[in-house]
Amino acid sequence: MSMKLEHVSYTYMPGTPYEKEALRDVSLEIKKGEFVAVIGHTGSGKSTLVQNLNGLLHPTKGTASLDGVDLSGKTKEAKAARERIGMVFQYPEHQLFAETVYEDIAFGPQNMGLNHDATDARVQEAMKFVGLDFETYAGRSPFSLSGGQMRRVAIAGVVAMNPDYLILDEPSAGLDPGSRNAVFSEVMELYKKKNIGIIMVTHSMEDAAQFAKRMLVVSQGQIIIDGRPGEVFLKEKKRLLEVGMDVPEVYKLADLLRAKGLRLPGEITDAKTLLAEVKKRKGLK
Amino acid sequence: MEPVIEVSGLKHVYTDAENTQVTALDNISLQIMPGEFVAVIGANGSGKSTLARHLNALLLPTEGHVKIKGMDTLEEENLWSIRQNVGMVFQNPDNQIVAAIVEEDVAFGPENIGVPAEEIRKRVDDALAAVDMTAYRNHAPHLLSGGQKQRVAIAGTLALGSDCIVLDEPTAMLDPKGRREILGTMLCLNKEKSITVVYITHFMTEAMQADRVIVMSEGKICFQGTPKEVFSRVTELEKLGLEAPLAAKVAFELRKSGARLPEGIISNEELAEALAGAFRE
Repeated sequence: MSMKLEHVSYTYMPGTPYEKEALRDVSLEIKKGEFVAVIGHTGSGKSTLVQNLNGLLHPTKGTASLDGVDLSGKTKEAKAARERIGMVFQYPEHQLFAETVYEDIAFGPQNMGLNHDATDARVQEAMKFVGLDFETYAGRSPFSLSGGQMRRVAIAGVVAMNPDYLILDEPSAGLDPGSRNAVFSEVMELYKKKNIGIIMVTHSMEDAAQFAKRMLVVSQGQIIIDGRPGEVFLKEKKRLLEVGMDVPEVYKLADLLRAKGLRLPGEITDAKTLLAEVKKRKGLK
Repeated sequence: MEPVIEVSGLKHVYTDAENTQVTALDNISLQIMPGEFVAVIGANGSGKSTLARHLNALLLPTEGHVKIKGMDTLEEENLWSIRQNVGMVFQNPDNQIVAAIVEEDVAFGPENIGVPAEEIRKRVDDALAAVDMTAYRNHAPHLLSGGQKQRVAIAGTLALGSDCIVLDEPTAMLDPKGRREILGTMLCLNKEKSITVVYITHFMTEAMQADRVIVMSEGKICFQGTPKEVFSRVTELEKLGLEAPLAAKVAFELRKSGARLPEGIISNEELAEALAGAFRE
């Protein structure tokens, strides 16, 4: 089970003066159960990359496939394959449209041809997943909710389609730290319970470090780094800065502590570990 | 010295989609002095953006007053002058661009208020230089990076003659480099041109750079002070759905375990220094 890009290039507006090659000969495999962060500066090609992965854009050259089914096809199999890849866009709360939370979440399953009962079950399950009480919220207008709640409704709408792969574009942009943690605890629960594949586009180095198991760094239409976040942030700091990225705060703090003579192990990926190590070195409980 | 912004007893009530009355701002009083760099933090829905919109009369008080250099936003004849004095920069860089060429975009404001052509030329040149975008003056804005677009938006407010700029989460949609560019630009404008800055953000590392931090919750100002004062209140911030910077949190935990560290540690450098000292003992 995997999604694959094989020698994919993508050119916007080919044959016009505005022609722009956004992806250049990219090959990539993502398996079900992986949690992959995609980082890169504005215009690096990361959005084009994920849109090729889920069949919203079709490669100019090369193929994008899911379990061997070409996503650009017009066959039933291709359509079914595309439906298995859910996409939560940036600021998904802007895409809510229905009169009630229930109708908004039910839209996807209904379009997939599910009957009333099956749709209902999906909506209930999805709402539970994102922590919205069915009785309280199902009948309410999505536009009467807070920003964080609206984002959860939007995520529920995609979850209700029961995707095998979920693509999240900037899931924490514009959220306060508390709402960010709430959204991610739901995403992680979904990830663990259903063992889906998650591909997360993000500008937040902290999000990538904290949640992803694998990280792709995109620059000028190519994947220039592919590795474990812990290792990449430790070993590729210089290159990350060169392509407009950064390292998480915890790496910066660990570096400074090392510079002051504090001996710390190589890979410190979160505040808890850092704290424990400092305590150990200082002989604190 | 007279404050640039003076908010007194400001209340903002609106009717939501369910037809209930919501109090978005509740009895806010606040003074911002010329040349100050003030960060505003708070959870989603705490009223930060509503407050920002009152500062250049995009919204008007239900009760209380907002005065910009003494001009009350409730008096209609003040509107043009208030909006020239207080520039706004919003979150989404794509929603603020009106022209097809960078320098025309920056010129849009002064053209609208009838500034003479020669003066516009000078203002646009100065504004683009101030945000380090002169090299891009003939570019198409939609081809710029997010950070560059936001700098063009900042230049637009400068060209209008604003000496106070209110930015509502200007870096929320930007990549790390873009975030560094915007914060750097605003710190520089503040220091070198004495521009008054009101900077709304969810990034505590950005708020740390301000002279003063205002913490909002449920339409009220919860507490405020220097970054050191505010970010030392680790538990209170967490209760409000916010987070102290990493160094402040680590220092807080270390103190709880008995480490003797000086008060007011909020930056990585300060923590490293304090710990190095502790190790030499």
